[in-house]
Amino acid sequence: MAGLDRLQTTAERRTPWWRRAIDGVLPPVLLLVVLVAAWQAYTVIAQPRPDLAPGPLDVAAALGEAWDDGRLQLAISTSLERGVLGFLIAVAVGTPLGLLLAEWAPLRRALGPLISGLQVLPSVAWVPAAILWFGLSDATVYFVVLMGAIPSIVNGLVAGVAQVPPQLRRVGTVLGASRFELAASVVLPAALPGYLAGLKQGWAFSWRSLMAAEIIAFGGSIGFGVGSLLQQGRDLADLASVLGTILVILAIGVVIELLVFAPVERGMLRRRGLTGGTP
Amino acid sequence: MTAAPAIRLTGVGKQYAADGPVVLDGIDLSVAPGEFACLLGASGCGKSTLLSLIAGLEQPSTGTIEVDGRAAVMFQEASLLPWLSARRNVELALRFGDAGLARPARRARALELLDLVHLADAADKRPHELSGGMRQRVALARALAQDRSVLLMDEPFAALDAITRDLLHEELERVWRETGRTIVFVTHNVREAARLGQRVLLMSSRPGRIVNEWRIADDGPRRIESPTVSELSVEITEHLRREIRRNAA
Ligand SMILES: Nc1ncnc2c1ncn2[C@@H]1O[C@H](COP(=O)(O)OP(=O)(O)OP(=O)(O)O)[C@@H](O)[C@H]1O
Ligand SMILES: [Mg+2]
Repeated sequence: MAGLDRLQTTAERRTPWWRRAIDGVLPPVLLLVVLVAAWQAYTVIAQPRPDLAPGPLDVAAALGEAWDDGRLQLAISTSLERGVLGFLIAVAVGTPLGLLLAEWAPLRRALGPLISGLQVLPSVAWVPAAILWFGLSDATVYFVVLMGAIPSIVNGLVAGVAQVPPQLRRVGTVLGASRFELAASVVLPAALPGYLAGLKQGWAFSWRSLMAAEIIAFGGSIGFGVGSLLQQGRDLADLASVLGTILVILAIGVVIELLVFAPVERGMLRRRGLTGGTP
Repeated sequence: MTAAPAIRLTGVGKQYAADGPVVLDGIDLSVAPGEFACLLGASGCGKSTLLSLIAGLEQPSTGTIEVDGRAAVMFQEASLLPWLSARRNVELALRFGDAGLARPARRARALELLDLVHLADAADKRPHELSGGMRQRVALARALAQDRSVLLMDEPFAALDAITRDLLHEELERVWRETGRTIVFVTHNVREAARLGQRVLLMSSRPGRIVNEWRIADDGPRRIESPTVSELSVEITEHLRREIRRNAA
């Protein structure tokens, strides 16, 4: 028997981690190098006005300057701290709310359209109201971040639960699971892909909302974030600094995606055999 | 039959939708405690529906159903939880409800059951890494893990090769004789029914009714290639053919 079964399963062949890292990192890095080289070549050959089209060296210099006087580090740490904290609060609020909506149909019917609407509403729209309510304080920033992230997380969880195959619930029932055991051991794990998609979108919305809030709400007791750095660059008509800051915001988004969400998602898909044909 | 039946259906009918077709109609059936009953019938005649009703997963439209305790079910699709290994899938049956074994005991019992279905080597594989037949065997181990007196099985060995199926027939028969479970076993395979059952029930289609039954004298284990099994399967096949032809007409 054991021999027969061995024939039935293919031996598992895992590519080593460094190989996967190279495969994943090399193409985008190469593309980046080519783009920057083309940009530099353009500034050298076409000689555009440096205040309207700064070259990569100008942008790097602007970032270096911000780094030297400590503004860049301060901005990044302030924004990251707010983004992460706001996101965690959104997860803590959105998860129970999503579960409640998923398992209780009347509430879902009542609140579902509102949540979907909030997801479409750009959360920047809350900034003026938040400033009037909370003044130029951290509360304003967090309020906008939460309004951006919570609807995505709730919707992701509700969609995930709705897509749980009914057969799995039947299995749980037959195995004698109580209501709570069914939710904890069958429904929630089965809904994980949808929930994770919601979390990912929730983070994206947190980060966008945070940047918008920092750009618009400037001064007061609001600390100095990356959005504020951007706004400062605009006030000084310093295009190199503005472009550099945009690149920083982009880079932070990419790094969080690569370091946090991509590995979690990959692990989950691999455990469930959903990796499809992508090597 | 003197003891109260383990399963009793009286006048059971089932319609999924009020304006939908009548899937089951006027089913009267008693299964004695410890009996091994096989249910035969054409595809779509309502065998799975009947098992769902007995398991309490669906409610009958008419009639009543009495079952001695909750039934363990082995579904037509393996229905394993895709994020758990084979062993953890089996352990789930030992964790839920009142069974409540401690973790090491669950683990040991799950491995024992996987060994019974010849899958000890695959205990740590996840369902997607197993073949269809291996998945079915994990589902069998999970169904056996539930300590219930009634076991409902829906085409459990459909995806297996003849030799593995033969081995599992022997194991199932052994478990049945040792534990005295009541088993209702759905199959398309007439020989399998004649090999395993003490009683073979034949269902008609649209509406599903029990139209014929055979009792088989139980004088110990019989082999699938034995003359008794062959003769009986020829006879049952004849009836099944007629049933299917009547429906096609
Ligand atoms: N959930 C459902 N809703 C509506 N109709 C259903 C449902 N489940 C089954 N049916 C119908 O009931 C009839 C019997 O289905 P069932 O699955 O019980 O057949 P079966 O005898 O198990 O067939 P097979 O041997 O192919 O598994 C079919 O006509 C099917 O379309
Ligand atoms: Mg069926």
